[in-house]
Amino acid sequence: MITFDNVTKRYPGSIDAISNTSFNIEQGELVYVTGHSGAGKSTLLKLMAAIERPTNGTVLINNQNVSKLKEATLPFIRRKFGLIFQDHKLLYDRNCFQNVALPLAINGITGQEAAKRIRAALDKVGLLNREKSMPITLSGGEQQRLAIARAVVSKPAILIADEPTGNLDKNYAADILTLFKAFQQVGVTVIIATHDALGRTDNENQLSEKIESQHISPENTQSESKVLHLNHGKLISKSISEVSL
Amino acid sequence: MKTWLTHHAQALRLVLSRFKQNKLSTMLICLSIGVTLALPSVAYIVLDNLNGLVSGVKSESKISVFLTDKHDKALVSSIEKTLKQNHAIQQVIYVSKEDALEQLTAIDANKSMLDSLQGNPLPDAFFVEPKSLDATSIDALKIELSKIDGVETVLVDGIWIKRLNSFLLLGKKILVILAGLLGFALIAVIANTIRMQILTQSAEIELSQLIGATKSFIRRPFLYIGGLYGFGGGVLALLITWLTILFLNRTIQTIANSYQSNFNLHFLPLNEFLVILAMSIALGWLSAYFSLSTKSKKL
Repeated sequence: MITFDNVTKRYPGSIDAISNTSFNIEQGELVYVTGHSGAGKSTLLKLMAAIERPTNGTVLINNQNVSKLKEATLPFIRRKFGLIFQDHKLLYDRNCFQNVALPLAINGITGQEAAKRIRAALDKVGLLNREKSMPITLSGGEQQRLAIARAVVSKPAILIADEPTGNLDKNYAADILTLFKAFQQVGVTVIIATHDALGRTDNENQLSEKIESQHISPENTQSESKVLHLNHGKLISKSISEVSL
Repeated sequence: MKTWLTHHAQALRLVLSRFKQNKLSTMLICLSIGVTLALPSVAYIVLDNLNGLVSGVKSESKISVFLTDKHDKALVSSIEKTLKQNHAIQQVIYVSKEDALEQLTAIDANKSMLDSLQGNPLPDAFFVEPKSLDATSIDALKIELSKIDGVETVLVDGIWIKRLNSFLLLGKKILVILAGLLGFALIAVIANTIRMQILTQSAEIELSQLIGATKSFIRRPFLYIGGLYGFGGGVLALLITWLTILFLNRTIQTIANSYQSNFNLHFLPLNEFLVILAMSIALGWLSAYFSLSTKSKKL
């Protein structure tokens, strides 16, 4: 589904944010991208979602080479992804319903069909009764869930979340993680960026434990999962067993 | 095709709902466009009407050829023949001194004045209507006519028309410059307003780009805003122009009546009305286009 082959990303005037990285993500996988702050997690996610193009190497999304695609076709590639941003990027001038409506509007879906799907997405994250509320009145966890509803409303094949639990306490974080697991179980590829094992706070430690416990729990053994651990832009390991969670 | 229509309907709905939310500012910007456009429109209508008035007068413009006192019928007919053969002349009318006196006496006001005169002081005259009305050919004709034997004076009646025409030409040139400058001012005002709106919606634009909105999806609402500002402004401009013409006509009629004329200003015919509206919409759209192009190369 997503293939990186010797990918390097360099921003002008800085060192390589990602250097010589190769990996492959299959459909339905649950992938954690870990690493300390500035390790290049966000850059990696941007490369995956065709928001950035690689400086060197090839990024294949559904067998399409991102570097060779025309600028005008990139938006259509991006629609395959559901993105959850580190800073939510909720629009505070409109209510929850209208926030979730935006990806559908971009896809040209409006009216009854859109309303049905928006309510389904809000229901999935438990915000159906808040559809008329403004995002500013929601708690941090609710805002995060709203961002998830917006990401999944257009039924993307791939869900990419950048630090989705970064500012949340452990209960909220666990809730959200369960939500992601649920999407993975219906065949969605889920890619989650999270902090490095070494620089974690207590909450994040617990989050990682939660992640770990979910991976080894018997009911999840059938689903594939993977960890991409980054250090200064380099891919250190590709499997969960090699990372000191 | 269906998606394309959906996208346009969607953009239009979005823009209209934004207008609804910001009624006052939308009204104000439309009003400023309307006032700016009404100014050259009124000037155009006034000039256009004066032009019509002058061209109506033009056909009455004549050259009077007065003959010397001492002449006989043979000379008159030979002059008449010469005049009729001249290619620069459209029509020749001969008015004898007796006819001229009769015409003058017919007007009551002149009676007492004429009664005090002994004999007929009027000369025999030809009234010549030239084919061409431009200044040089009339001047040439005047010189030619004054050389004819038996002709005393040649008077060109329409000299003031020449002057008025030059003034009207000057007025038209000023109008073109004025309209051009005001057009630029309009583009600046609308482009700036739309630039501000792009700035206030930068969060939405950025997010939309990240989640796969095409450039045209993002640009479309702003182009519609520009076009609709132009439309609103155009309608207001025509309304303002119409009211101004109505207001001016009341005074003009009083003046015209004193000249025994029923001249008044006519409002624009439908096709010119539509041209102004279309130009206004095009200006708004262009302004939006400019501000989208300068704001960010990504858009």
